[in-house]
Amino acid sequence: MKKFSFLLTIAALVAVAALVLAACGGGGSSSSGESTSSSGSSGEGEGKEGGTLKGAYTESPDYMDPQLSYTAQGWTAMRPVYIPMLYYKAAEGQEGSEIIPGLAKEMPKVSNGGKTYTMFMREGLKYSNGEPIKAGDFKYAVERAFLTNSGGSPFYTSIVGAEKFAKTKKGGISGIKVNEGTGEIVINLEKPRGTFENELALMFVAPVPKSTPAEDQSASPPPASGPYYITKSEPDRGWTYERNPYWANDNGKQMTEIPAGNMDKIEMEVLPNQATQVNEIESGQLNWLFDPVPADRLQQVKEKFEGTQLRLEPTISTLYFWMNMTEEPFNNLKVREAVNYAVDPAALERIYTGLISGTQQILPPGMPGYKKFELYPHDMKKAKELIAESGVKDKEITVWTDSRNPNPEVGAYYEGVLKELGFKTELKVVNANNYFTVIGNLSTPNLDTGWTDWFEDYPHPNDFFDILLNGESIQQTNNENFSQTNIPALNEKIDKLSMEQLGPQQETEYAELDEEFMKQAAWAPYGTETETLFVSENVNLESIIWNPTFETELTSIEFK
Amino acid sequence: MPPESDKPGKEEAAAGAASSAGIGSGDPDLTFTGPESGEGRSAGPWTIAWRRLRRNWLALFALAVFLLIVLACLLAPVWANDVAHTGPNTTHTLEKLHEGGETKEVVEVTGKSIGPQWFAAGGKFFLGADGHLGRDEMVRLLYGGRASLFIGFTAALITLILAVVLGLLAGYRGGWTDTVISRALDVIWSFPVVLLGISLGIALAVGGLSIGPIHLKSSSLWIPTLIIGVVTTPYMARPLRGEVLALREKEFIEAAVAQGASAWRIMFIELLPNLISTIIVFFTLNIANNMLLEATLSFLGAGVQPPNSSWGTMISEGFEALYSQPLLTIIPGTAILLTVLSINVFGDGLRDALDPKSKVRFEARSGATAERSELAELSGTGV
Repeated sequence: MKKFSFLLTIAALVAVAALVLAACGGGGSSSSGESTSSSGSSGEGEGKEGGTLKGAYTESPDYMDPQLSYTAQGWTAMRPVYIPMLYYKAAEGQEGSEIIPGLAKEMPKVSNGGKTYTMFMREGLKYSNGEPIKAGDFKYAVERAFLTNSGGSPFYTSIVGAEKFAKTKKGGISGIKVNEGTGEIVINLEKPRGTFENELALMFVAPVPKSTPAEDQSASPPPASGPYYITKSEPDRGWTYERNPYWANDNGKQMTEIPAGNMDKIEMEVLPNQATQVNEIESGQLNWLFDPVPADRLQQVKEKFEGTQLRLEPTISTLYFWMNMTEEPFNNLKVREAVNYAVDPAALERIYTGLISGTQQILPPGMPGYKKFELYPHDMKKAKELIAESGVKDKEITVWTDSRNPNPEVGAYYEGVLKELGFKTELKVVNANNYFTVIGNLSTPNLDTGWTDWFEDYPHPNDFFDILLNGESIQQTNNENFSQTNIPALNEKIDKLSMEQLGPQQETEYAELDEEFMKQAAWAPYGTETETLFVSENVNLESIIWNPTFETELTSIEFK
Repeated sequence: MPPESDKPGKEEAAAGAASSAGIGSGDPDLTFTGPESGEGRSAGPWTIAWRRLRRNWLALFALAVFLLIVLACLLAPVWANDVAHTGPNTTHTLEKLHEGGETKEVVEVTGKSIGPQWFAAGGKFFLGADGHLGRDEMVRLLYGGRASLFIGFTAALITLILAVVLGLLAGYRGGWTDTVISRALDVIWSFPVVLLGISLGIALAVGGLSIGPIHLKSSSLWIPTLIIGVVTTPYMARPLRGEVLALREKEFIEAAVAQGASAWRIMFIELLPNLISTIIVFFTLNIANNMLLEATLSFLGAGVQPPNSSWGTMISEGFEALYSQPLLTIIPGTAILLTVLSINVFGDGLRDALDPKSKVRFEARSGATAERSELAELSGTGV
C-alpha cells in the first residue's frame, strides 16, 4: 500500500497570495480566535464516553468505499465502519497483527490441502440501515471488488473462477459457495495461498448489501457493519460518523473483541494546510490529525508536547530507490551495488527531519521474517571503484520522484549521489496524484531509477516480495515491480513460500530471501518511516491504539 | 546626409501625425523642433523620449536597480566558483562548518539548516543553506535569478515576435486571416493563463517537448519559457491588431499602397515602426509579468523543475519551512519583488517618455514648463 496524496489542487490565488506573503515576509498562523471545546454532551474532562471528536486530513482518502480504498487514509477512516469476515485485532505491535473472527463466527476451517476455506457468517447481524447481514453479501463484496476494478482485486484472483469473472464481469465467482440458510461460506482456491486469511481481513472484501451499486460510493458510502456509520460524506470537504444504532444490541454483542468506540460523533474535515492543523490542535479546535506534523513544526511540537499530546509511532514500511534491472546501466550488478554503497541513510534521515530509521533491506523491522543485516555500509570510495569496474557505457539516466514533500528533495539527493558516481542525470518530479500510474506503465520512456515506498497491506512478508519483486508480477500497466526484478530462482522461492502458512520455518526462509535479493542489489532501500500521533490537550493520548496496519484506531480515542 | 532639421518633409510629417505614439514613424527623417531643443535646432523623437526619461529620476533609479540585479545574476558562476566554492545543486547535508573554534552542522538531524553566515565561512553559506539538502542559498539565489530573468526576457521576446507577426497579419490583411488569427487568440485568451500554464507544464513534465527534430527535456528551461511566451501572446497581439486596424486607414498607408508597395513592405516597413513605442512598453512590462508567472508556475510545480533553481522554486521549497526558517522564502520573494518592481517602474517611465499623450504624470514630475516645451515641440509637427 502506498501513501496517497492530492497535492496539485492548490489554486492559483493561493500561489499568488503565497508570493505576496513571501515577498512581504509574511506568514503566520491562520488559527485565531477562541478555542472551542469539541467535546459534546459529556463535556471536556467529564468522562471517557461520549462527545464529538473533530479530526483533520490533509486530503480526502482515495475512496470512501470499502471495496475501492487502497490507502492508509481510507483504511483508517473506514476501519470503524466496515468489518470484514476476519479482523485484525484492535491492538498495538505484534498483537495488532493477530487475526480474529470479524463477521465470521470463528476462524475459517482450512481443508483440501490449503485450497478450501470454510467459515460461517454470524447470525442476527444488521447493517446500520437495519438490513440483515447475509452470507451472500460476502460473495457480493468479492465480486464487487472485481466489478469496480478495485486495486485490491488481484489479492483474490486465486479463488476458482475469479480470473474469468475479472474478465467477463458476468456469472459470479464459481469458487465461492454460499448457504444463506446456515450462513456457510465455502471458498475454493486454485492453489494454496498462505496469505489468504490476511487477505480475508482486508477491507476490500468487507460485506456490503447486494443492493450496493458496483461503482464508487464515496459520496454515499454503503451502510455500516461496524460500530459507526457514515452519515455524510463530501469528497474534498469531509465526512461525519455517528454510532451504528444496531451495534450495541446486535453486532457488538457478538463481536466483543471489536471496540465499540467512545465518541458519540466523529467529524472529519479536509484541511490542506498542515500548519493550520497544528495550530488548531494547539488551540483545541481540532482533536486529532491523520497526517504527520509537518517537518517545519515538528521540533517545536516535540519540545512542547511529546508524551502529553504527541507520540512518535514506527510504521512497517520500506522506503527505497528502485533500479530498472532490465536495461543499462542498472542491469549490471556492480552498478546496483555501487548505488547501495553510495546512498547514505544518515543524510536521508536529515531530509526526513529524523522521521526515518535507516535500513538497507527489503523487510522492515516489525515484519515477520525481519532479520537485520547490512550488506552495503555507506562507502562512496568503494561505490566509485565498483562503477569503474562495471565498465558501463550508458551513463545517461532519468531519476523519478513525486511531488509530495519531502520526495522532491529525496530525488534531488539521489540525483546528486548518482552524479557523484559519474552519471549524467535528469530528475523528473511527477505530480503525486499520478506518479505511480506513470512509473507503473512500462511504456513510459526512460524508467531508469527512482524513489518509492511500500507500507504493509498486512503483516506477512509475502506482501513485500510477491508484488514488488516477483518477476511474474510484472505487468504492462499498474506495475508495482518498478525495478522489473525477475530472478527465476527467487521467483520460485516466493511462489513456494506464498503457498505455505506462515510459521517459524517460513519466517527464516523469508529472512534468507531478503538477503538473497539484497545480494542482487535489486533495490537501494534506505529507511523505514516514523509517523506522528498528535492530539489536543483534552484527548487521552495514552488510550489511543496505533495498529501496525490501520494506524490510529479511531474507536480507541477518548476525552480525558 | 543633411541634418534632420533640413528635411521636415510633408509626407513624413503626415506619417508622424498618423502615429498615435508620435514616434517611431518609420522615417528617420521625421523631426521635431521647439524651444527645448535649442534655437534653430531640432530633436528627433528618440532624443525627446530620452530627455523625458532622463528627468524621471525614479525610472532611472529603477533601471539601475534592475541592471544591478541582472549583473549580480550574470556573475553567479564567479560567486559560486571563487567565493562560495560550491554549485547551485551541490548538497552539503552531512557537512560541518568550523568557524572560530566552533563546529556547526550545515543541516541538523532535525532537518534545520544553517542560517546566514555572511563572510564567516569565507562567503560560503553567505545567506545560509536551503531546506534539508544544505545547498548554498546565495548561490541558488543567483543561479535562480539567471533562470527567472532568462525566462522573463526570452518569453517576452517570443511573445513579442508572435504578437507582432500575428497582430500585423490580422490587422492589415483582415478578412479570413483576421478571423482565423483572432479566433485562435481568443481560444488561448479564454483560458485562465495560470491554469493553462499549469496544464501545459504538467503535461510536458514527463516526456518533455518534441517538435520535429528538436527535443526539449522536461527539465529544460525552454519549456516554461515557451509555455509562458505562447500563453501570453494574445495579451499583446490583440492590442497591436487594434492599433494596426486604426493605422491602416491613415494617409501614409494609402500613399504607400498607391505607390505599389507590397503588403509585406507595408506591414513591416510602414506599419511596424509606428508600433515601436507600444511594443517597447509591452515588452518591458511583459518581462515583469513573465517573471511573476514563472514564479507562480514553479511554485505550483509546473515551471522550472528541481533540482534547478528559480526564484519560484526557491519560494516553493522555502514555503515548507516558513515557520522555522522564514528567510528561505523571504529572500527569493524579495528578489522577485525588487526585480518586478524595478521593471514596472522603469516600464512606466518609459511609457511616459514614449507616449506624448501621457502627460499627466510627466507634468506632475517635471513641472508645467517642461510640459509646455514638449507640447510646443509636438505642435510643430502637427500632432
